[in-house]
Amino acid sequence: MPIELRTITIEPLRNNYDHLEKRFGHKPASRYQEASYDIQPVENLHYRPTWDPDQTLYDPTLSRIRMRDWYDLKDPRQLYYGSYTQARARQQDTEEANFEFVESNGLVMLMTDALRQQALDLLVPLRHVAWGADQNNMMVCGYGYGTTFKQPCVFYALDQLGIAQYLSRLGLLLGGQDALVAGKQAWMEAPAWQDMRRYVEDVMAVRDPVEVFVAQDVVLDGLLYPLVYERLVDDLLAVQGGTAVSMLTQFMTRWGAETRRWSDSVVKTMAAESAENRAVLEEWITQWGQRAVAALAPLARPVAVDTTDALMTEQIAAFAGRAAKAGVTIKLEH
Amino acid sequence: MDTKARQPKLGLREKYRLLTRDLGWDPTYQTRETLYPYAEYEGIKIHDWDKWEDPFRLTMDAYWKYQSEKDRKFYAILDAHAQNNGHLNITDARYLSAIKLFLQAISPGEYTSHQGFSRAGRELPGVGTQVACQMQALDELRHAQTQIHALSNYNRFYNGFHAFVQQRDRMWYNSVPRSFFDDAMTGGPFEFVVAIAFAFEYVLTNLLFVPFMSGAAYNGDMSTVTFGFSAQSDEARHMTLGLESIKFLLEQDPANVPIVQGWLDKWFWRGLRLLSLVGTMMDYMLPKRVMSWAEAWNIYGEENGSALFKDLARYGIRKPKGWEDASKGRDHISHQFMLGLYQWSFGTAFHGWIPTDEEFAWLSEKYPDTFDRYYRPRWNELRKLAAAGTPFKNYGLPMLCQTCQLPCLFTEPDDPTTLCHREVEYKGERYHFCSSHCQEIFDHEPEKYVQAWLPMNQLTQGTSGGGGLENWMKYVNLVDGQDNGDFEGSQDQRNFAQWKHNSVSNQA
Amino acid sequence: MAIIARKPYDFPPADSVEHYHGDQLIYMCWGHHLMFAAPFMTMASPKTSFGEFLKTALEPIIALDPDAAKVDWTKVEWTRRGKAFKPALDKSLQDNGIVHKEYLRFDTPGLNTVCG
Repeated sequence: MPIELRTITIEPLRNNYDHLEKRFGHKPASRYQEASYDIQPVENLHYRPTWDPDQTLYDPTLSRIRMRDWYDLKDPRQLYYGSYTQARARQQDTEEANFEFVESNGLVMLMTDALRQQALDLLVPLRHVAWGADQNNMMVCGYGYGTTFKQPCVFYALDQLGIAQYLSRLGLLLGGQDALVAGKQAWMEAPAWQDMRRYVEDVMAVRDPVEVFVAQDVVLDGLLYPLVYERLVDDLLAVQGGTAVSMLTQFMTRWGAETRRWSDSVVKTMAAESAENRAVLEEWITQWGQRAVAALAPLARPVAVDTTDALMTEQIAAFAGRAAKAGVTIKLEH
Repeated sequence: MDTKARQPKLGLREKYRLLTRDLGWDPTYQTRETLYPYAEYEGIKIHDWDKWEDPFRLTMDAYWKYQSEKDRKFYAILDAHAQNNGHLNITDARYLSAIKLFLQAISPGEYTSHQGFSRAGRELPGVGTQVACQMQALDELRHAQTQIHALSNYNRFYNGFHAFVQQRDRMWYNSVPRSFFDDAMTGGPFEFVVAIAFAFEYVLTNLLFVPFMSGAAYNGDMSTVTFGFSAQSDEARHMTLGLESIKFLLEQDPANVPIVQGWLDKWFWRGLRLLSLVGTMMDYMLPKRVMSWAEAWNIYGEENGSALFKDLARYGIRKPKGWEDASKGRDHISHQFMLGLYQWSFGTAFHGWIPTDEEFAWLSEKYPDTFDRYYRPRWNELRKLAAAGTPFKNYGLPMLCQTCQLPCLFTEPDDPTTLCHREVEYKGERYHFCSSHCQEIFDHEPEKYVQAWLPMNQLTQGTSGGGGLENWMKYVNLVDGQDNGDFEGSQDQRNFAQWKHNSVSNQA
Repeated sequence: MAIIARKPYDFPPADSVEHYHGDQLIYMCWGHHLMFAAPFMTMASPKTSFGEFLKTALEPIIALDPDAAKVDWTKVEWTRRGKAFKPALDKSLQDNGIVHKEYLRFDTPGLNTVCG
């Protein structure tokens, strides 16, 4: 409790804005609540979009998912702009220190060429996946409904831009500009990457904002981040002498864990809303999940080699377990 | 093997290219048209997205670091302001009307702008432009949120702030900014960027930003000033995006020039009409004045704008069509608007009032050609009526302009004694306008503007709460006798005076 | 000019006459009486006589102006769609050809309060 230095105490007329008192009662609201609830226009929209006159400007029917109140989809991290940038600034400090440490101690030189090449092959093309994720999340933020649902997506989008930039720097550090050229070539042409690229492009063609959220954030990143950063990098590459790589991707590992907490909770709330929602989510997560598994396995194989199948089975089980906790039953094959 | 030794060190520019636009690729599993479906229909031709210049070269790590530092300071000051009853430091409670209007009319616009840039950041098929739009999308969210936070403490102690969310969609005068931003967002991504990033942010933002933030500083409102300072560097970035996008479009193809010129004509006038709210605030609502609207227009409109359009002339761009009429209206619009707000103050969620003698003198000095001749007599008449206990409350509903949605209260450009009126018939319906330029905007896209949700025309249909003033007030969350009416005798006036007195005296 | 859109773009106006439950809107502007900041929006049945409309819909709202009591409706100069107009006070709005969202301006020479 701060010390009251003023001589007077004034009784406020009200504790908060009307819309927050209506939702949360007559008590002071948090900064997250003030920043987020009901701040998107909802009614008396003036004109139809020229880019698609069949839609309204803020249109909850763009998605097959229906919510009585889209503001039920809150962010358990309670991120608004201020808390978001504070959180990322701290993480970026750590990541910068890690880059600095790896560079100044010449840790890259301690890695074998083969190991370094493995890391480059796995990680550099992912910067394009991240750019796809950025655009997909801008789509959800732009066309989704209700600020508490779509605000995390603009954060997510720019996080993915940040991740794409860290991956690019990692590529430059480990292999110079050639590594980025080679990574892009693999992304465009190497057979191992084509299911992944097709996946990302196909998600970009979807115009249902919740389906985009599911296909990108819940499914693809929900499988990719634990597999790539926790298992392939932190476990497998690290034990072979690739601790440096693990340090350079620490931001991604932690970001993935933090973000899954949010995306899981959104799925859970949507699924709990209605049987129809649950059925749609099961359909999407199964369809996109199956494709994501197929796209990820060939990326894991050069690193995990013989253990790839076991690893994929384990990751699928973990993913299905998280979905089940959110109320969505799925079965994916590997 | 030292990779650094093998390859030349990258320059900043090249490195930024690798960290942004090199992330993109040409899709092959889907067509470009499928992935960027809104990029072509406006008729803008882009031959080479790589010609886009990145003026800032801001990577995300730097963005987070820099922005979080600003926000940390901002919230620290805000907390202190709340704790120390900083609201008692404002010059006078009349000042609050300006920031009530800001929260109701402008902050929701920041949010809309966030949404529009999110869409543009997705739809434009060039990585450099996308990244710039995305960062602006994030910034605009920041502005909406920091404004709501900055004014939250005022809301606890004063009326008129509490229902900004409901009033954003329902309050009659807020349909002016709402329709402005809805208009921009229902246009294609290129029009949106020209409208908001260039016409609004670059050409007009100084007219909004400087007066508001300096007004806050002059009037002791630390929390708004803090927001203003904190947003300044964002605004600088946004203005650069505005200028860069316009030059990029103009350089890409000569066929873009007439399209862009049409948008400039439209959005200059749309923006100017919106800013008449700001002019009124500057001339009438700030107890301590910063500068007059006329002076602001001279500096930020006339001087800066002329230089800008001189610069753009090499592309074949001329000043927006409405420029001359804007200059002609310079000495009139704020007076005409405030006279309206005063007589309709029963229906506004902020207070109106009659200026004091000292303010009359200031107005007459700043507007030597118009105030004494046209407007002082009206204010004198209003004063007489108020003194007689019969204040002039105009319960007649005002006619609204089909395009800008302001009441048709501005006079003919060359005749300050006649209200300006234009009308057209379109598909058997009659439509009315406050000015030739608002009519031209309609004529260009009548299919769009016929849909306008004009608050007065809805009220009379019985759709805004069920008909009648009382129901309408419920519909817009307006508390009669508290939020509205004359400042004289208002609860805000009484409370502020009492609290201020208590804070400097020994009374409990 | 027609709007440029990706699909057919045609929507009804939000204030066409069928929304007014048998009434219509009429905009009224009193020339050189700028104490009233803007023209008025009024509403009446198209069957109302023009004189009755003036009495019930217009007079109460212009009464604030001291000139209002001195207005002689038989001597008022009317303008409609930019041209002089002579409405018959005893005929209905409809029979006077006053359509939904019609704008009428009336001038009262000699009565010019404080607005020159």
